[in-house]
Amino acid sequence: MGKIVYAAAMSHVLAPDYYGKNVGPHGRKMVEELIDVVREMGRTMLAARPDALVVIADDHLNVFSFDAVPAMCVRIGRFVERMVQADAIEFDRALDGLPERYPLHEDLANRILERGLEDGFDFAASWSAPLDHAFLSPVSTLCGDRPAPPLVPFWVNCFVAPLPMARRCFAAGRHIARVVAEGPWDVAVIATGGLSHFPELSLARVGTSDPAFDRRIVRLLEAGDHEGLCALTTKELHESGSHELLNWMVLLGAVSPAAAKVRFFGEMGRIDLAAMEWSVR
Amino acid sequence: MSRYDVNVILYKLKKDAAFRTRFQASPQTVLAEADLSDEEREAFVRWDTRRLNELGGSLHLLVSIPHLGGH
Repeated sequence: MGKIVYAAAMSHVLAPDYYGKNVGPHGRKMVEELIDVVREMGRTMLAARPDALVVIADDHLNVFSFDAVPAMCVRIGRFVERMVQADAIEFDRALDGLPERYPLHEDLANRILERGLEDGFDFAASWSAPLDHAFLSPVSTLCGDRPAPPLVPFWVNCFVAPLPMARRCFAAGRHIARVVAEGPWDVAVIATGGLSHFPELSLARVGTSDPAFDRRIVRLLEAGDHEGLCALTTKELHESGSHELLNWMVLLGAVSPAAAKVRFFGEMGRIDLAAMEWSVR
Repeated sequence: MSRYDVNVILYKLKKDAAFRTRFQASPQTVLAEADLSDEEREAFVRWDTRRLNELGGSLHLLVSIPHLGGH
């Protein structure tokens, strides 16, 4: 019987130069501290010897366009490419030195997709979507120069309204946990992004976060109050700039009822950074 | 909901370098056939990113268009 052997969530712009430039030395120092913590988490993750690594993250209109934006999407196939875009935004350019291709865990991805459709989760499937910083910045920081476990990338639409509900994301995570339990694999699951930034997705408000909201979220996660988190409304997430918490909600469903252990929390101003682990063994 | 046509143009500006070059040279010509309101067209021509955002342009596109994006 399969099990989740490691679970964590973390911010996904792990790029000191970006915060050095846009926030200053304080921002650079804070993200460097976070990176050290994430590297240590990666050692724990790899020590659990996962057969697959499910990565729940969002697209930044790098991969999907207004032609179609799936609420949730499973990447299937045998390999996935790193996104390559000429003159990409700086934290995607920071991925330039990383491997161009990563193996996928095809069987687990197919099972999440197919069992999902049987059980009422109409996930989209992609055979070609590449990975941007939301996936590869955390994966590369966690794994360092060791090979990443075969990946199962899972996208949640965090930014193009209408968004999936927090409770629905949690339910999708419960589904992933069931699929893992039915299978033969040891699986690591991470969610990336956040905490609050880009309130109301307003360009005029870029540079501000909502630390009071973030402290409340951290308290709920630490308390294992998953009902309180499922009750979060899209309006609350939008106003505070906590859109990417939807990724974390999927992870939360996968590990529920476990409570989070906070490994890092920092209030930077432009964004609040965090890294958390869940005891699942 | 975001305004579809505004975002299609922003997406193309991000992903299509040749389109971006033509836009920078002559935004009015490039947008001549686009289905935009006068207000939207004017915001594109002036490259007023805040206004484009207020009119439904995706923040993530506006901050990531090479050479034009800005925080």
